[in-house]
Parts: sequence; structure tokens; C-alpha cells
Amino acid sequence: MLSRTAEYLYWISRYMERAETTARLLDVGYRMSLFPNPSGYNNEWESVLSAAGAIEGYKNKYDTIEQKNVEDYLFFDESNPSSVYNCILNARNNALVVRTSFTPESWLAINKTYQEILNLKEQKFTKSDLPGLTEWTIEQVNLFRGSLSSLLRNDGYNFLFLGLFIERADNSARLLDVKYFVLLPKPQYVGGNIDNMQWSILLRSLSSFRAFRWAYDGNITATKIADFLVLNNNCPRSLSFCIQNIVKHLTNLTCSPEKVGRIYNNLKDLNTKIQEEKIETIVEYGLHQFVTQFIRKISSVDNEIHKEFFN
Amino acid sequence: MYQSESVIRNHYNNINDWLDQMTSKVILEKNAEAETHFRNIGITFSTNNETARERIIPFDLIPRIFTYTEWLRLERGVIQRAKALNAFLADIYNQGEIIKANIIPKEIIYKKKSFEPSMFGFSPPRDIYSPIIGIDLVRTGPNDYFVLEDNCRTPSGVSYMLENREIMMRMFPDLFHNNRVTPIDDYPTRLLQTLMSLAPIKCENPEPVCVLLTPGPLNSAYYEHSFLSDQMGIEMVESTDLFVEGKYLYMKTVDGPKRVDVVYRRIDDDFLDPLCFNPQSVIGIPGIMDVYRTGGVNICSAPGAGIADDKAIYIYVPEMIKFYLGEQPILDNVETWNCEKEQELKYVLANINELVVKEVDGSGGYGMLIGPKSSKSSIDEFKTKLSTNPKGYIAQPLLDLSFSPTLIKNQVEGRRVDLRPFCLIGEQAQLSSGGLTRVAMNEGSFVVNSSQGGGVKDTWVLAE
Repeated sequence: MLSRTAEYLYWISRYMERAETTARLLDVGYRMSLFPNPSGYNNEWESVLSAAGAIEGYKNKYDTIEQKNVEDYLFFDESNPSSVYNCILNARNNALVVRTSFTPESWLAINKTYQEILNLKEQKFTKSDLPGLTEWTIEQVNLFRGSLSSLLRNDGYNFLFLGLFIERADNSARLLDVKYFVLLPKPQYVGGNIDNMQWSILLRSLSSFRAFRWAYDGNITATKIADFLVLNNNCPRSLSFCIQNIVKHLTNLTCSPEKVGRIYNNLKDLNTKIQEEKIETIVEYGLHQFVTQFIRKISSVDNEIHKEFFN
Repeated sequence: MYQSESVIRNHYNNINDWLDQMTSKVILEKNAEAETHFRNIGITFSTNNETARERIIPFDLIPRIFTYTEWLRLERGVIQRAKALNAFLADIYNQGEIIKANIIPKEIIYKKKSFEPSMFGFSPPRDIYSPIIGIDLVRTGPNDYFVLEDNCRTPSGVSYMLENREIMMRMFPDLFHNNRVTPIDDYPTRLLQTLMSLAPIKCENPEPVCVLLTPGPLNSAYYEHSFLSDQMGIEMVESTDLFVEGKYLYMKTVDGPKRVDVVYRRIDDDFLDPLCFNPQSVIGIPGIMDVYRTGGVNICSAPGAGIADDKAIYIYVPEMIKFYLGEQPILDNVETWNCEKEQELKYVLANINELVVKEVDGSGGYGMLIGPKSSKSSIDEFKTKLSTNPKGYIAQPLLDLSFSPTLIKNQVEGRRVDLRPFCLIGEQAQLSSGGLTRVAMNEGSFVVNSSQGGGVKDTWVLAE
């Protein structure tokens, strides 16, 4: 497989995953905006922008933070590199180049999505459309992922899934961090009703609310949710699940065992640590510190993948 | 479709019945379905205007039909022509017998920009310079076919031929139950076999590694590049994916370098090798020409193959057929005046109102004058152009291109068509069982080019 093909495949699934995360974040903002806004809480839309890593770009463009503008910036704006529109556009442009390396269904899934978002962009959207847009995005990304099941299980497949789980690991970690340190209310609110409500919104935004209920008995507590999203191997968005899958798809690569070995060595410690760690220890150490380190590690793995395979 | 005013040619009877029973509502729906399908699979044009949506070529639902016997003659004629063109290339890059025999003057060959001096004295595998040739044909009477031009470099349009069939089979399966239409979907396989049969002498691989070299996504034929590589199961590479080391060409893969045997290039000569052609070019593979000339790789088509489809060389193709093959040409050329010759220029200037004047290096239906359809001012403009640069132009009579039934606003109307079948020459010579029919969608128009409002049709060859 061409190095460039591998790189484009990797990025296609990163973009599709990112489109989904951005859409889900918008949904979080939308749900939170329907609740009363007690003093001590940050503006929900500002949190959403930070979580999407788009706060700076947004502030360069707009003076005030308003739902309508945030929606437009995160969903349609061509100047925001992580907007759903740009993610889909980039995925589609990459797919155009490597359509020979995946199935016609995968190409169709991406290209149809692109054709539809062009239509959506041409139509004026109203406030009440936001849940519809989110739903639409999730549906499209699911179509794409579903189409991958007919792929040959070769290196291309593994690069696609490496991209997916690197992106998801990063996104999940950022969402967790945002909850804790951007949404973080004054200390007296921790564990209070509103705090828990926001945790639930976070779970919903990760489409994990029901799953969480099945996995844990009793009350929703911050510790349980942290355990679910960091350490639970059954939760497809948890950090540990992502790491396991990165390891799996990395070691499944048949090309260049020595390159795979080098990247694996870097990843091994994180994997062991996350499998053995207790959530209490992490909370005690500081979830924020843990997550920050995690994000840094994921980014270094991403760098290595680029250096070893795509150059 | 019609034999005379009101008599339908036999082989169109089925289609006529089919048309009769389609309501205009169905036609509208099917047109929309075809458009959606083409957009979804991405068979679109890039336009220069980046914010505009990609364009799709208008697709006409009514197929154009050839009988088996009609096609047989075209097949023989096109293959004959393709063989002669390759023989011509092999000759002018080596002994130049046709020049010594005073059939073609040497100036019009060796002074052309499309003549490639670095090819002199080199013979590509099997002496095939141009393995994929697209011949543009028009019909003016029941048995009168003329060759409008030859395309020996990188003829495009074959993806439309295949996709037009695909969409027709999907939308109207019954049509294919009731008509015996020769399949064309083996074209990519045959193309790959052709390329593999042209492996270079130093190739050690029993199954030569072929790649398709594309200029990239901005090229207007990019869809076709990805479509063909996908169908052939070969890598579609850009020049940055390739590099030369020692006497071989390699592509950069996740496993490290992998040797490439045959390059089906869809880029122009100028961008192949900056060391050999255009030093300013940022794309291209430095050193590939060296590898090519020492038998480490084959480049299809060969650099310099473009001289064979030059409009000034076109005039001599019937002579070539006689000279190299000792046969009478099966397909005729359109009568052509070479404005470079004083006598012929005089004739053209005197009769310009009846003639079509074309730029020798023009394409896409641009830079041409259709005398009978042009205003006095544009005719005068061309007269000045002709007088100042006679060798830049040729002239031909305006041919009365055949009409094919076409759906215009839900009504069947006649529109002018041409045809480009695709000829493959490697270990064997063969013609696609069909081709790309282009149709001038505007009433009275003679221009079928997609850049100027042309559309396409599915093209049927009926089985024996």
C-alpha cells in the first residue's frame, strides 16, 4: 500500500470521527441551554467552543457568544478547520484520492454525506434544527462505519481504525477534561444536582447514557462516570477501550514489523497503566493531570505513526 | 433511428415501443435518478471555480444502437487505423521510411512540439507507442463513417462509456432482457491485460506491477483515473509517490519501496521528467526517462506519441495505412485543407463561409470557426488569423452529422452525435464493444464537446 494511501485512510476516519464529536458537542450545548443558568456556571456555549478547541477562532470572528453563531461556526463555517462541514469536506477529498483502497459503499457513504451537507448548507437553518443536524451527522458517520465492515482486513483497514481510535481517544479525553475544568462549578456544587445533571449530559453526548445505567447500579456519581469513561473496557468511548484498539490495530499491521515495534514500545506503558489503574487513584492524583498526560501521549503516538508510515 | 421520414430502422423498434410506454412523469423521475446516481458515484467535472458545485455531464436516456454488422466494419476500421498509427510512430522514431518514401514531408514531423527528440532510436516493448487509442467518428449516411480525429496520448471518456451502461442497466433492466446488448464491463480487465503485456525488458515479475499516474484531484478526468485504477485493482499514484533509484522506478509504500514495471500515465509529456522535459515543472519524476530508455520501466503511452494525433499528421493517416499495412483504409478521413500550403489556404479563404476552421493545437471545441453558422465579424477575424499564421490552422467541410433520438423536455427530438470507441493494442489488438456517444444537446448545434453543452448516451452494440 502506498504511504500516501495509508495516510489518507487514517485521516478519513479521523475526520469522520471528529465530525461526530463536534456534532455531539453542539448537542451538549443545546441541551444545556435548555436548563436554567445559575450563577457560578460558565456560559455553556463557551464550554462547547473550548471542548471543540475552537474558542480562539470563534472569538476572532465574533464579539459575543451566541447560540446561532456557535452553531454556524461549529457546523458550517469554512474558516473553522474542525467544523462538521470541513471534516466532511476533508474526508471526502481524501476519499476521492483513495477510493481505490476501500469499497464503493464506503465511497458512496462519504460522498452522499458530502452532497447532502452542501444542500444543508444552502438552506437556511433555524434554531430548532440543531438536534436534527446532530442526528443527521451521527447517522451519516454510522453509515460510513457500517460500510467498513465489508472491507478486506488488510493494512488499509487497520490504518482506518487506527485513525478512528486515535481521534476518539483524543476527543473523549478532551470532553472529560472540559467537564471537569471548564464546566467545573464552584467547589460547593461538586456532587450537587446540577453537577450530576451535567455529567448526565456528557454521557448523553457520548451516546453512553443508557449504557452507563446498564453498567453501574445505583446513583450517578462523578467517580462512577469517570470510571466508565476512563477505565471501563466495555465502553466503546472510554480511554482504555480506545487504547486497547489502537494497540490491536497497530499490532495487526503486517507491514514493517520494526516500525510497529517502535510505536508499540511507546504505547505499552500507557496501556498497562490504564488496564491496572483504579479510578480512585486517578481521582486522587487529579483527573485533569491524568487526562492532560493522556492527551499528550496520544499526540506523540500520532506523531510517530506519521513519522514511521506516512513519510 | 429513422430510415426515412417515417420508417423506423429495425433495430430501433424495441426502443421505440419502450419510449411510447414511458410517461413524461417517469422520464422526469428517471432523469433525476440518473443525475443523483452520477453525483453520488462522483462522476463529475471539477470546474475552475472552486466555490461552484461540481458539474455533471447531461445524460440522455435513449441509447444509441449499432447492429452487429455495422459494428464489425467499424471494429476492423478502427483497429486498422490504430495499428497504422503505431507503425508510424515506430518508423519516425527510427528509420523514417515514410519520409524517405516522400509520403510525409519531414518538416511537419520533426518541427512539431509533440515530436520528442529524446525518443529517437528507442523502441518500446512490442513497438507499441500508443496502447490506448480513442478514435472520434461521425456518420453522415447509412454506411458513411468518417474519422474526425485520432487520440493517441491519453484519450478520456471510457469511464462514461462504462457508467452510462451501468446506470441504464440499473434503471431499465427490462430493456436488457429484451435486447441482446454486448457487454462492455470487461474493458478494465482488458486494459490491465494490455498494460501487463507491455512489461519492459528488465521486468522479472511474471505479473508486472502496473500503476496509473494521475496529475491529482484537480484534473478534470480525475474521476476516470480513480475509477480505472479501482476497476483494475492497481495503485493510482501521483508523481510524489514515485522515485528513481539505480536503474529502476519505485513507489513509496508502507512496506518500503516497491518496484513499478508499467506506468499508465494520464499526465502530459511535459510533466513526466523535469530532468528531460520541462525543468520548471514541480511535478514529475526526476530520472524516469533514463529508467525508461534502459528498459527498467514502460511508460504508456510513450513520450512523443502525441505526434501521431497531430491535426497536420491526420491528413496522412490513409497514406500510412497503405504504406505500412498494404491495405485500403476502411474508414475515411474527412477532407481536410492544410492552410500551411499556399494553394489550400487560398481555397479556404475563398470558401470560408462553407468550411469549419480548426486550430492545429486546439481541442475541446474551442478556437474553431463553423463558417455557415458564424457572423461576418467572426469570419473576418478568422481570415486575419489565417493570413498571419496559416500553419496554425486546418479546414474541413461542415459534415452533416447523423441525428440520434434524444429526450429534450420530455419530447423525442433529433440531435447530432459522434462516437469515440476505445482501441487497445498490446499482445493483441481489440476494440471496446461500444464507446462514448456524445450528443450536441442544443438544437441545430454541431458541437458535441461537454465543455460546450454536449451530453452523453449509452452506446449499444447488438450481439450477432
